Amino acid sequence: MLLTEVLPVAPTAAPGLRAALLADRTRTLTDLYRRTFPAVRRHVLRRGGTDQDAQDVFQDALVVFYEKAAAGALALTAAPGTYLVAVSRNLWLRELDRRARHPRTGLAAVEEGPTEAAEPAAEEPTEPFSVLAYVEQLNEKCRSILLAYYYFRQPLAQIAAAHGYGSVRSATVQKFKCLERLRNAVRAAFPHALPC
Amino acid sequence: MRPELERLRGIEHYLLGAPDAPPPAAALAADTEAQRRAYGALHLAGQRQLRRELAAIHETLYGPRAGRWAWTAAAAGLRLVFARWGRRA
Repeated sequence: MLLTEVLPVAPTAAPGLRAALLADRTRTLTDLYRRTFPAVRRHVLRRGGTDQDAQDVFQDALVVFYEKAAAGALALTAAPGTYLVAVSRNLWLRELDRRARHPRTGLAAVEEGPTEAAEPAAEEPTEPFSVLAYVEQLNEKCRSILLAYYYFRQPLAQIAAAHGYGSVRSATVQKFKCLERLRNAVRAAFPHALPC
Repeated sequence: MRPELERLRGIEHYLLGAPDAPPPAAALAADTEAQRRAYGALHLAGQRQLRRELAAIHETLYGPRAGRWAWTAAAAGLRLVFARWGRRA
């Protein structure tokens, strides 16, 4: 079955889509979700997955999609929905493969230690999650500004307007103050892990 | 901006801007590493927030409330049709 057969044609081009995502993320993602999820759901259900699997796979695909689009690294040769279905199908294939190789790893197996899939050193995967706690501890305004800029890649003018700053310069200074706060918290938390 | 923030900006340019930019001379290695970790944490936090937003969108479109809304809208539509039909009769 061709992807174009399962999805309505979406006219949005990548640059326009990026602008739409940055300007109104919820609305743009809702529109993409409404148009594309039914096709992903059908695909996953036909290949032995559940509703929850379809939801997980599609949301993973949307995260990849958002990050690429926001970074300006999305080169679309088809409609965004077609791209999303293709990514979801790949993710679901990979998940099926993973489940075939590791059918329901029980708690006992986990406690026995790492299996043949080589895990990175114990410190590496947990460390970013510890630092994550410091992001959660920032005040709402700082967290919102930092995420808007560094993850959602919104322009500073938009961030300034959304947070009530009179100018881009004020928003920039505030952004660096928030980043400094976060960096200092990280430095204090990991004094031995960082070079002097 | 005060000098500390300017240094922060210099490190940011080194870490996120030009890939071949040299590290800012005044920057401590520990500051650069802490800032790199801070960006990693912001990326993770952003992904978490995006996933929460996507779950909320799913709930809005396909959750039980969406179904209830559809029934309410359908009932309102039917009431409108009957009201018009009543006026014609």
